Amino acid sequence: MNLTDYRRVRMPLSREDALSLRAGDMVLLDGEIVITAGLPTHHRILACVEQGGDPPIALQDGSLLHLGSYSQEAAGGGLEILYMNPTTSTRFNPLMPTLIRHFRLTAVGGKGGLDAACRQAMQEVGCVYFSFLGGGAPLHSAAIRAVREVAWNDLIAHYRLVRVAVEGLGPVTVGIDAHGNSLFESIAAATADRMPAILEQLALDRAAAGG
Amino acid sequence: MAITYQAVKALTAQLYDWSLRRIPEDTKQALRDARAAERHPGAQRVLEIMLGSALRAEQTDRFVCSDSGVPVFQVSIGTAARWEGDIKAAIADGFDELVATIRPPLLKHVTNPLTNERGYKGRDMPLIGWDLVSGADWIEFACQPKALGSGRWAAAETFSFPSLADIEAYVMKVVMQAGSQHCPPVIIGVGIGGSFDVAAKIASKATWRAIGTTNPEPVLAAMEQRLLRAVNATGYGPMGTGGDTTALAVHVDYAAGHGYTPVAVCFNCWINRRTRARLHADGSVERME
Repeated sequence: MNLTDYRRVRMPLSREDALSLRAGDMVLLDGEIVITAGLPTHHRILACVEQGGDPPIALQDGSLLHLGSYSQEAAGGGLEILYMNPTTSTRFNPLMPTLIRHFRLTAVGGKGGLDAACRQAMQEVGCVYFSFLGGGAPLHSAAIRAVREVAWNDLIAHYRLVRVAVEGLGPVTVGIDAHGNSLFESIAAATADRMPAILEQLALDRAAAGG
Repeated sequence: MAITYQAVKALTAQLYDWSLRRIPEDTKQALRDARAAERHPGAQRVLEIMLGSALRAEQTDRFVCSDSGVPVFQVSIGTAARWEGDIKAAIADGFDELVATIRPPLLKHVTNPLTNERGYKGRDMPLIGWDLVSGADWIEFACQPKALGSGRWAAAETFSFPSLADIEAYVMKVVMQAGSQHCPPVIIGVGIGGSFDVAAKIASKATWRAIGTTNPEPVLAAMEQRLLRAVNATGYGPMGTGGDTTALAVHVDYAAGHGYTPVAVCFNCWINRRTRARLHADGSVERME
């Protein structure tokens, strides 16, 4: 795995960089990201939006990534994250279009992708989805440089909203780009098209096996 | 000499801890084989990153995934084994002690399904399956922490006198429902027959089998082989972003039942957390994986 082969992009991602990425690209992330793995956290952010207020960590033109982390107070003061890893993004499908449009996010991410309604919102504002490696905690955690802010400490650790400085986080795959292309949707559609042929091959294999 | 409460408590806690920091050898080999066979350039890179994550976890004694899941144990008790003390309580006590002492600490994943509140304790936690093994004088403990990422996509349906074609079409339906979601490449367990609960248990236990082993039943050996080809023809690929490698293995098993035939399908994500050890009558511990 040679990391020098990968393009590096600065976070928060500029609109220009977001628009320059294409589904299938793989990149490394440098800079600051905002993360949470909590459904209650998303509800709280939405409540802020509905009440006309701001969440405790600014999201405007920024990123909101579905990464869970174990944050705690460091022995020498300040905060530290012991480990960090993505969670399933589709859990947040119904909530993401509002958040993407309201904050004009440039980057969302996690694992497993988001649905067509999210992809449309992303295309409207110019936002990409980064697919992180599940089971990548040793790599993702090593990319953490500093914990800038942790909000909503009343929530369990992985639900908190956290702003983290990272260097060389990834490589991540652009799963959905800002131009309406989603690997997740295109693969699912291609698989559905291919399924009759796959079932036909299974029938041929059964016949060959005497079944 | 009897197998003690203390030995069970210590071993089951260790099995959980080990399972979080290591990917089984057969799984790493299967990932290397998949990397060699993979044709999609992006998928080749994702498989390399997976192997890199596995290696780094070993080198730095890190958790591979931040989601440590919930403790799931399978206990196989030899009918000639002797023990003293409450070995059921020992497993729960071992988990409690692990939660208090493990470094780095675990996140709270034990969830009350009625309130969605999360903590380290809950009703019937750890989840334990019990079996008896005729004649053996040992007790075997297997640990397979399960989390939402892959656990969410398990499914079962009950059929009436299904053909093999019906069964295989259902497996493919569940594979499509899971799609890109379950941190592929996955290990797929399929349980056929018995009763509703038995089929699910068979599917779950099928995921324990080492990758590369062949089902002794010729009908199932052939089914496993063709289903693996079919799943890998879907194109979801590693992490669901495209490629030839959607599953590392499909393991099928069955039990006789009545003409109503439940078919259960479950998934282990690519890190395939799995550890196993036996406690012998002489007090020795035999680590198996």
